Amino acid sequence: MKVLVVEDSKEIASSIHDFLVREGYICELAYSFDEAQEKLLLYSYDCVLLDIMLPDGNGLELLKFMKDQGIQSGVLIISAKDAMDDKIRGLEGGGDDYITKPFHLPELHARLRAIYRRKKLSGSNIITFNEITLNTDTLEATINDILLDITRKEFDLLLYLVVNKNRVLSRQSIATHLWGDYTDNLANFDFVYQHIKNLRKKISAANGADYIDTVYGLGYKFNASKV
Amino acid sequence: MKLVDKFTLWFLGVIVITTPITSYICLNNIERKIDDVEIARLKIVNTKAAARMADGTTVNIPRDASFTTFTLLPALPADSFRIRKDADPDGNHKSLESRLTVSTFMTINGKPYEVTTSSYIPASRQILNAIMDTVAWKLLLIIVCVAVSARFLSQRILHTLRLTMKKIHNFDLKKKITFPQTNTEEFKELNTFLKKMTDKAVEEYTAVKQFSENASHELQTPLAVIRGKLELLSETNIDEDQASLLADMHHAIEKLSKINRSLILLSKMENNEFAVTEHIKFCRVAKDVLAAYEDRLEMKNIQVKRELDKNIQLRIHPVLADMLMNNLLGNAIRHNVQDGMIHVILKQEKLVIKNTGLPPETPTEELFERFRKSNQCSESVGLGLAIVKQICEVCDFKVSYKYKAPLHILQVDFCPGSVINEAEQDKFETAAVVTA
Repeated sequence: MKVLVVEDSKEIASSIHDFLVREGYICELAYSFDEAQEKLLLYSYDCVLLDIMLPDGNGLELLKFMKDQGIQSGVLIISAKDAMDDKIRGLEGGGDDYITKPFHLPELHARLRAIYRRKKLSGSNIITFNEITLNTDTLEATINDILLDITRKEFDLLLYLVVNKNRVLSRQSIATHLWGDYTDNLANFDFVYQHIKNLRKKISAANGADYIDTVYGLGYKFNASKV
Repeated sequence: MKLVDKFTLWFLGVIVITTPITSYICLNNIERKIDDVEIARLKIVNTKAAARMADGTTVNIPRDASFTTFTLLPALPADSFRIRKDADPDGNHKSLESRLTVSTFMTINGKPYEVTTSSYIPASRQILNAIMDTVAWKLLLIIVCVAVSARFLSQRILHTLRLTMKKIHNFDLKKKITFPQTNTEEFKELNTFLKKMTDKAVEEYTAVKQFSENASHELQTPLAVIRGKLELLSETNIDEDQASLLADMHHAIEKLSKINRSLILLSKMENNEFAVTEHIKFCRVAKDVLAAYEDRLEMKNIQVKRELDKNIQLRIHPVLADMLMNNLLGNAIRHNVQDGMIHVILKQEKLVIKNTGLPPETPTEELFERFRKSNQCSESVGLGLAIVKQICEVCDFKVSYKYKAPLHILQVDFCPGSVINEAEQDKFETAAVVTA
């Protein structure tokens, strides 16, 4: 996947860049409106990560520009303003999804993948890893063609782990992914732990490999090298 | 008591006190005037009678109830005339007139005579009655006129004051106000002073608000940076000690970003960015939120008792409705005990959430303040209930928190204005049917 990151904060851009490059994506950076316009005209990207607040222009205008030029990339909007109207304007202006700072990189990645699946893989809804198959439409997970009896939350969790395989996922990032912003007032860690435990049980019951590792003190990791 | 009433009362008090005095003066003056005129006339009558007598013409000419008598005196007294006033000539205390008698001492044809003429003038009680009548009417007129015109006048003169009061009453720290023009000196002064004060308040509030908003927004980026770098760092080769340090950092960053998000949310609510445009079915929101927390309720094995009435519509922004329910239910779960109980009641006029849990360590009402926690070292940020309170303020709801062992009881009373009543609903539905 080829991604253009339009973000004026160099540190954030470099963090995203490092993260995505490790995933094997081609990732280019644009720090300003003009630079982004130039790059969009010269090259084509599968996805654009777009910060709405740019020093020399509004990200929403860049959306309009892409529309006018007939640029078909998927767009994930990044913003520090989690204002409702901003969100709505961004999505109406042609953004595919929306994420607010400060975000977790795996979360950004999961959303990027979802956009990529919808846009570029012509809406492919099947994600396969070794013996695990996930269908994002029916929310069904199978291991060696055996249907797993898992809840919606567990499905989301497994998808999140598979998309971010070989990454350390902090409990916070998992909690935010599963329960959104309303995790503020709940002791999430127990819940994350419980969900992970149930998921591992169900996978091993279906004779799947135990891919999910606990990383001491940090969180969990979907270890792809286990067989 | 209104200003105008005070003035009116004072004015009337002055009139009531001065009226008897002026009436008395008036009575005296009228009496004196009448007496003087009558005495002068009687003197002339006496002189004329004496002249006729000297001529030898008939004297006793009765003339308008006055008559003249001649009395021969042994000698002329020192004064040339004497005046007598008899207030009760009939001797029955009911006389309507008093008798005025003027005696002139003069020498007629060489003999000393007392020439006396009497006449009747209105008794002073009569005059007093007349004056009292007049005064009564006058007082009545004055009272009516003052009462009416004072109101009218105060309406006019105090109009600017009233406008100023209204402005101050509706004063909102978010925008400056202009005061009405006036030509009354005192009001001018008041308005100038108020203008200065309110402008300063608005400016300072705006500055503070701007600062906190900017600070919160500016914090987002560095937070995102730190979080991203930490995530990248945790994927490098690290040992256990480093991992636990990283975990602590993660934790702190998480808390920081939660505080920040909550503060942004609070300031957004203060800026009225959640204006209510439509009404929503709150019962549905409650159901959805309960469903979302299903898994966590199960994990703590909490029994949920629901009493959700159907078709409860409220005027509240959907985002706020969601947040309100989330915060309240989240708290009820988080501060609950293993195998606890939550009782959710939603009625047309109120939402009550009761839950088991440890007794609070601080007075419950204080928990609505920002950064107040029942348990200071707990994981929470301490903004949840502050957000709840702010939402209730925005929507005109009343919220209260009581602890009656073993239950924590949080109650939100919806204001009458925000509840869409049945009649309105029926109208709404019939309208829908008609349009359909």
